[in-house]
Amino acid sequence: MNNKNQILGVFDDPDVVTDAVKVLVKHDVKIKDVFSPFPLEHVWELLKLKTRIPYATFIYGVLGTSSVFAFLYWTSVTDYPLTFGGKPHLSLSFVIIMFVLTILFGVVLTLATLLIREKMWPGKNNPLPDHRSMDDKFVIVIEQGRDMDEKEIQKINELLKQNGAVEVNRSNV
Amino acid sequence: MYNIKARGVLIEGNKSYHDITRDITNPLLAKRTPSWWWITAFFASAMLAWGIWGFYNTISVGIGTWGLNNSVSWGWAIINFVWWIGIGHAGTAFSIFLLVLHQKWRTSINRAAEAMTIFAVMAAGMFPLIHMGRIWNGFFIFPYPNTRGPLWDNFNSPLFWDVVAISTYLTASFLFWYVGMMPDFATIRERTTSKIKKSIYNVLSFGWVGSARGWLRFESAALLMGGLTAPLVISVHSIVATDFAAGVVPGWHSTIFPPFFVVGAIFSGFAMVLTLMIIVRKVYKYEEYVTKKHLDAITRILTFVSLIMGVAYISEIFVAWYSDSPYEMFVFFKNRAVGEYAYAYWAMITFNALMPQLFWFKKIRQNITIVFIISIFINVGMWYERFVIVVTSLSKTWLPSTWHGYSPTATEIAIYIGTIGFFILGILLFLRFLPMMAISELKGINKETSIVTKNSENHE
Repeated sequence: MNNKNQILGVFDDPDVVTDAVKVLVKHDVKIKDVFSPFPLEHVWELLKLKTRIPYATFIYGVLGTSSVFAFLYWTSVTDYPLTFGGKPHLSLSFVIIMFVLTILFGVVLTLATLLIREKMWPGKNNPLPDHRSMDDKFVIVIEQGRDMDEKEIQKINELLKQNGAVEVNRSNV
Repeated sequence: MYNIKARGVLIEGNKSYHDITRDITNPLLAKRTPSWWWITAFFASAMLAWGIWGFYNTISVGIGTWGLNNSVSWGWAIINFVWWIGIGHAGTAFSIFLLVLHQKWRTSINRAAEAMTIFAVMAAGMFPLIHMGRIWNGFFIFPYPNTRGPLWDNFNSPLFWDVVAISTYLTASFLFWYVGMMPDFATIRERTTSKIKKSIYNVLSFGWVGSARGWLRFESAALLMGGLTAPLVISVHSIVATDFAAGVVPGWHSTIFPPFFVVGAIFSGFAMVLTLMIIVRKVYKYEEYVTKKHLDAITRILTFVSLIMGVAYISEIFVAWYSDSPYEMFVFFKNRAVGEYAYAYWAMITFNALMPQLFWFKKIRQNITIVFIISIFINVGMWYERFVIVVTSLSKTWLPSTWHGYSPTATEIAIYIGTIGFFILGILLFLRFLPMMAISELKGINKETSIVTKNSENHE
């Protein structure tokens, strides 16, 4: 990712790590990321992280409904109108295909959005700061800026330790 | 808000997070494939091989190899198709409905249920395909610019809706299932020591790292995908039901069909989940993850759904009598209840409406062997339900001169057995190579539902 040095606070409890994030945020320590084996909803709130994926999905849905209707209208009314049992060409039963394909549009494009936004692809080599965060550890990553002096780093280390970090490590991943 | 401890401890044995990772990944990282796996895979492959013979026979000779005739133009193919689609409803019902209802006990079961959905829907898809006879013209069902006008599909036909609904259901379920597995693939990637496995699981994990922002987007996207897929559970089987209900055949032409089919599908799907999970927990010794309370919760749902099934059967009979139509009355009172297929009708009533009522007794719910046997009977009963609907109605319709019996030929039986073999083989591969429980979700519920500490209450 980058060659900057990072401070890793390693925790082994989801609630302790959430409390630690709260304390760090209060002390104006800039947290780069928190790696965890499962989602920690309170951490998102504390780090003020937001996602706009729901809005994107809504747009995909609208796109799906309207384009499917346009296609059905074009094929059954404009391009080659065929009369089945005297029924109207523009039929209410279009709604079923529109409904189902709206869902298909929504699902496929939402997934695509997730992969694009997260920059994920099969076989991407994405090194973890601490590989135990996939198992049972929760890792707070703090970027060590160039302007940070030893005292500041010491303060961050102290804060992490005091708030329940089982280990404080350095990493340059 | 609601009592999250209502179902008691969900993961027994006070597991740590590392214990969960180890317990779920060990079977798939093991070097040796257990012998029971090879034996089952051998039998499943044999079944599949016979099914391939049935396929070959149908394609090379034609639909004439089946026992169909002018009156009974739908036979085992549609029965098995509806049966498999029904089983394929459990995965999404489990994952989404229980997610929306905050039922955390779904976590140790949903992954396997979703896998079941995928393979069951694939098995179901084979029947319409093979029923076309000229399978090489199968692409005719899709709307594409062609040299015949272009002549488009009839977009008002339930059979075309079926094509759309089932391919959408398969795609959406597969994507939802896969997305849920990405974090678990990453866990396996970090845990395995084998270089080959590491690179394979890295490809599968799409480079997932589990950062806070990543989890936020993941959760948001997964919830949206799940929420969008949920209505498909209702729509797919409603559309399958309109294949029947849109026809005027006595016994089919009924507005109760769509909800009746959806309920039946959830019924058979949950029964299949029960069958599968009882085997899995026994074989993999996952009694601490799929506890007796999990099985108890499923049996309670089955009891309730079985009551709905019973009411549906009764209301069908009532409406047949109330309609005062001699044809409807003939179907229910002569053809189904006492006719030559009466055994199927009474099997359906017994296995679906009566037998699950035994689950009212706690002693029976607690006895895993009896629960297992009843779950199998429900699956058989649901097969008979489709048999009753298709065959009894078609074999004796309006004109007695067109009455014709129906019995399947070896080719039809072979195709059915073949799809069962395919399903079992698919489940076996899933159990061997993919994480069979959602590791990250299990960890997510572990602390709040299963471990009690001083700190637990602070974050509710």
